[in-house]
Amino acid sequence: MGKYIIRRLLQMIPVLIGTSFLIFTMVFVLPGDPAEGRCGERPCPPAYVAKFRAEYNLDEPLLVRYVLYLGKLLKGDLGTNFYGNRVVDELALRYPTTLKLTFIAIMVVILVGITSGVLAGIRKGRFIDNLVTVSTLVLISIPVFVLGGGAQMLFGLKLGWFPVTATQGTWYQLLMPGFVLGALSVAYVARLTRTNLVENLRSDYVRTAKSKGMSQGRAVGVHALRNSLIPVVTYIGASVGALMGGAIITERIFNINGVGFFIWRSINQRDGVSVVGAVLVLVLVYLVVNLLVDLLYGVLDPRITND
Amino acid sequence: MRAPHKFLALAAGAVLLAVSACGGDSDPGNTPAPGDTAATSNEAASGGEISVRGCTPENALIGSNTTEVCGGNVIDAFTAKLIHYNADTAEPEMDIAESIETDDNQNFTVKLKPGYMFQDGTEVLAKNFVDAWNWAAYAPNGQQGAYFFEPIEGYADVQCGEDGDCEANKPTVETMSGLAVVDDHTFTIKTAEPVSNLPVRLGYSTFIPQPDAFLAAEDKDEFSKMPIGAGPFKVTENTATDIVVEKFADYSGENKPHVDKVTFRIYNDPAAAYNDVVANQLDLTDLIPADQLVGDAWKTALDGRSDTAETGIIQVLSFSSTDEQLQDVNMRKAISMAVDKELITSQIFNNARKPATGWVSPVVDGYKENVCGDACTFNPDEAKKMYDAAGGYDGIFQVSINADGGHKLWADAFCNQLKNNLGMDCQVNATPDFKTLRQQIHGRELKGAFRGGWQMDYPSIENFLTPIYATGASSNDTDYNSPEFMKLLAEGDAATTPELANEKYQEAEAQLAKDFPTMPLWYQETQYGYSDKVDNVKMNPFSQWDLTSITVK
Repeated sequence: MGKYIIRRLLQMIPVLIGTSFLIFTMVFVLPGDPAEGRCGERPCPPAYVAKFRAEYNLDEPLLVRYVLYLGKLLKGDLGTNFYGNRVVDELALRYPTTLKLTFIAIMVVILVGITSGVLAGIRKGRFIDNLVTVSTLVLISIPVFVLGGGAQMLFGLKLGWFPVTATQGTWYQLLMPGFVLGALSVAYVARLTRTNLVENLRSDYVRTAKSKGMSQGRAVGVHALRNSLIPVVTYIGASVGALMGGAIITERIFNINGVGFFIWRSINQRDGVSVVGAVLVLVLVYLVVNLLVDLLYGVLDPRITND
Repeated sequence: MRAPHKFLALAAGAVLLAVSACGGDSDPGNTPAPGDTAATSNEAASGGEISVRGCTPENALIGSNTTEVCGGNVIDAFTAKLIHYNADTAEPEMDIAESIETDDNQNFTVKLKPGYMFQDGTEVLAKNFVDAWNWAAYAPNGQQGAYFFEPIEGYADVQCGEDGDCEANKPTVETMSGLAVVDDHTFTIKTAEPVSNLPVRLGYSTFIPQPDAFLAAEDKDEFSKMPIGAGPFKVTENTATDIVVEKFADYSGENKPHVDKVTFRIYNDPAAAYNDVVANQLDLTDLIPADQLVGDAWKTALDGRSDTAETGIIQVLSFSSTDEQLQDVNMRKAISMAVDKELITSQIFNNARKPATGWVSPVVDGYKENVCGDACTFNPDEAKKMYDAAGGYDGIFQVSINADGGHKLWADAFCNQLKNNLGMDCQVNATPDFKTLRQQIHGRELKGAFRGGWQMDYPSIENFLTPIYATGASSNDTDYNSPEFMKLLAEGDAATTPELANEKYQEAEAQLAKDFPTMPLWYQETQYGYSDKVDNVKMNPFSQWDLTSITVK
């Protein structure tokens, strides 16, 4: 087990270097000069452009810039973004908000998604099953910007139950955006749980357990559900990364100062250093979460070992 | 002795008492205790906090390095300049300057008011201007606003040559010969050529004085995270999500604010800020989302909490200088006459823009109506005749815009009209973002026409002409080159009275109507909304909040 974890951790290093290089290159090849458009509608004076380009090594070839960046990175310096702010500071300001938002979204996914999946699974073909199927279908078909804008309009502006935006990033403010962000995953998780549960309830070991006199609750809760959760956990693990980095639309609607928007803005500015800095942390989180998921398999199903 | 400021007098009659209390600011004991009902109107007139939609400044908060609005709004709150533009009329009024005098429009003597204080407790002296300006103009310091110092004698000596390569061509001197300190409160400006409207320009944020602490600072960008100015507000917090300015207690000028604290909350999306204002969770927003303009939905949603301000912004369509088929002036005029701008501004902008009849915004001194004349009047039949006579346009005529600025709608309408009225094969070429469009304009890569906008720096007709149409000017995207135009500009610059100067500038504008390097599209108005918490909301012609007049109810 320990050996396995160390091996996985070591594997992260080449992944991190690879992704950082890929992202750096992608930002580099985007059209549009980073020095343009910084002075409003007018062109920037040559002296300003020259200073700006020198400051951010924009005249160096891609590889030189990347190596310069790596050199700084090894010293723990994520560089400075085009606004003159240290990327570390920007990330320190934004990651807590993003983590809070993701946490709310994941909790919503787990609580609502799995509960409704289980209910639908054990009452297969009944009203509750149809309700879950139809409502998840609706959720899956609505794009996030409609869902987010609609929720903001209804619960924020019309009813006034929730704050309209989450500028300060408090838990209360992030509640509604968290629900919106988690909505899509809720639908998938509910359906995954339901399908797997239905299948496992039909399997021999559950029938055996029941015929031995085990209560319905125990048979479902301990035996069938535990096995059914393996694909669900995989899905949730995979969506953590998507929820963190892909919350751009939700972040825009609710003005959340999170990582997604930071990445989007930095790409717009062709600010490779900022993009890579933010994404590296995302990749790291993603890798760690997936490691946790793999370890969780062993807990859910003792037959799976990691050695 | 300070005269009460003009817009204080405009405030509601009920707060007149409060106004006089504000005038005698030196007695803090006068402030009514909170909860004192008798002083309700007093409290309403001063004190309180407001929040304003902000956006991320592109650069550190240095006046000479900021020419965009995100940083500009903050800079105007914490700095004071030689002159201040009246929030209603844009008329220049003396601020730090006691007088700016000249006999020949070339040698200016600036006298400062004694005892005008910076926020770090030092006095604003003549050297704070001269040193700051020299620092800003010195090319190796790479300041965006450096070219505002161009008229000053010796400016060329502190530049690094055409390409801005400061390593190869480092300037030999560090200061401009045209600036000289006479005594603590007097300095002189000598310009290379006569500049009749120089005093009007001095209210732009590039011309701010800098305290000794700034000039001595090793890393000026770092220092300017918490900048020091001489303005009515002081920056007390500056993060990536909020910029907070608080009332500067010892402010020496006349534009005293009523509110104690203003928070510029950074919004990523104007729609979010707008929704917050509708819900009274943000106090001011100066951007109404385009979809809310349709059918005046914003006015209904904000219900009496909205208004419109005339601002010095004009949008034009520039004709590419590298497009062979657009060299004929009649071709360019035909395109202009074939488009019904009235229809576009009413249908697409809900009259939030006004069709332009010239190249100068109506808000400035020297504006003259209908300079463009027939060439800006919709006349499809005449246009078609001129277009055919000019030989027509072969191939696709491209109208280039940036896709991230909400320009697609009008550009489509524009193209459709050209198709219908001239039979031109017009297509909208949308670049993914503003940066890409600017780069292509800069590299002269675009054929056809492309959009351009201009927001004035200082309220003068000249500011709409020289920077955009003078030969070799920084924003001359169409490579317009007219000796006649240049001659008229020079005559305007040298004129002895503002009236004579304006006359010459108007003649120069008329020259644009003859040569038609760009097509005037529309003058932009700014729509804004505010919460039910604030009163006396006003926007100046620079489309900036007049933060000093706003009160909390």
